[in-house]
Amino acid sequence: MFRAKFKEAVICFSNPRVTLPYPFGPGAELPEGFRGKITVDQTRCIACGGCANVCPSRLIRFYDEGERTRMEFILDRCTYCGRCAEVCPEHAITMTLEFENSTDHKEDLYIEQELYMATCARCGRCFETENAIDKIPVRRHREGRNFVGPSMPHGGPRARQRE
Amino acid sequence: MHSTGYCQAVEKAGGIEVPRRARYIRTIILELERIQSHLLWLGIAAHIIGFDTVLMQAWRIREPVMWLCEKITGNRKLYGINVVGGVRRDIPKAMHPELMGVLGRIERETKAVLDAVVTDTTLLARLANVGVLPNKDAIAYSLLGPTARGSGVAIDIRVDHPYAAYGEVETNVMVETSEDIWARTVVRIKETLDSIRIIRDCLAMMPEGPIQAKITEPIPPGRIGQSSVEAPRGETHHYVITGEDNRPYRWKARAPTFQNLQGVPIMVLGETIADVPIALGSIDPCFSCTERLETVDVRSGEVKVYTKADLFRLCKERWSKR
Repeated sequence: MFRAKFKEAVICFSNPRVTLPYPFGPGAELPEGFRGKITVDQTRCIACGGCANVCPSRLIRFYDEGERTRMEFILDRCTYCGRCAEVCPEHAITMTLEFENSTDHKEDLYIEQELYMATCARCGRCFETENAIDKIPVRRHREGRNFVGPSMPHGGPRARQRE
Repeated sequence: MHSTGYCQAVEKAGGIEVPRRARYIRTIILELERIQSHLLWLGIAAHIIGFDTVLMQAWRIREPVMWLCEKITGNRKLYGINVVGGVRRDIPKAMHPELMGVLGRIERETKAVLDAVVTDTTLLARLANVGVLPNKDAIAYSLLGPTARGSGVAIDIRVDHPYAAYGEVETNVMVETSEDIWARTVVRIKETLDSIRIIRDCLAMMPEGPIQAKITEPIPPGRIGQSSVEAPRGETHHYVITGEDNRPYRWKARAPTFQNLQGVPIMVLGETIADVPIALGSIDPCFSCTERLETVDVRSGEVKVYTKADLFRLCKERWSKR
């Protein structure tokens, strides 16, 4: 009996305090793959709707409104499964290390964004976002906002004409 | 645990073959879950009988497992690692040394605590010959998991109906025959140590290859899938009927607590009131898993069972008042 108590005492004394003073001090370090609150990078999104398709709590909604596509992320229902970040082909959705998401205002957990859809020159219907069009290799002939430099090794057809 | 059960049921319904590596990763996660669940129970059980030293020590030992799970899956409790057809994240070779290190530490520390506690007469007086559940009653009430194994019933889904990688990795059924709460405690501690060995075996035997099956066609509707998983508390059964658009038509899960709760009246029969909490705690209850609500009007003796529609209506009424 006393031997058992002595052994227990040894275990207790040989392991010092392990509790972290968390809300008042730093907590445990988060690993790289931690699934926290999502962020959406509008400049990468191509409005494919893959995230809305896989979201198990259906908190991502897409509205096609004429030439715009409006997206809603109602994060108060988020289960932090990270499926949206996993399926995003453009890596527009990423999971941050942010986990302190409790709030008094629902608006803090609401992301809304709009993307302008480019209109097809032939049929007149919306067909693609400007973000996706930027990636089409005609960059050499673009001036201004979207110009990122040459991407095709031999240039587009018009460049060849010039030569 | 439940995600594995559900995914396996859907995979059976759809005839999807899970890659071998994915099955090994599922096994590792299931065993990590078992380690942390049993250590958590050990702490809670000690807390119920007022032995808080074990609570503190068991939870201190448990914490590195949670951090490990967080590192592997991205969250410390809600792993979300299973998808239909495999797992979402791999356990790369670079993570093996850390996993092994944590496992070694848990094993050493659990054994040290066990060595100290096992001769503690105050603890034994509180647990031995308390909450006795005879073998024949455990069979009669179809009790599951460590509760039944503590009463000498050798049932374990991992061995009886192997799933994931349990058919390939050696799994031992831990049985104790003293039928009291101490037996259930010993079963859980032995299982914790056995789980550590299973994870080591899995890491050594894990084959290379893909971690997700390629699913090209939608799962046909109207198929039936059933799967059983050995959760830390006992057997978990999942039953799925597939529907249109890759969505389930019906899904029923049975958690082990509902079955194990039937054994509690026998455990507390003739015992003192002070032994009731630990007798109830010894089945590792999860009341949210029992899912049913029955109200008894003490004046008239009227019994009413609330259905899902009733609860929905009550919730609506309550929230519309605010």
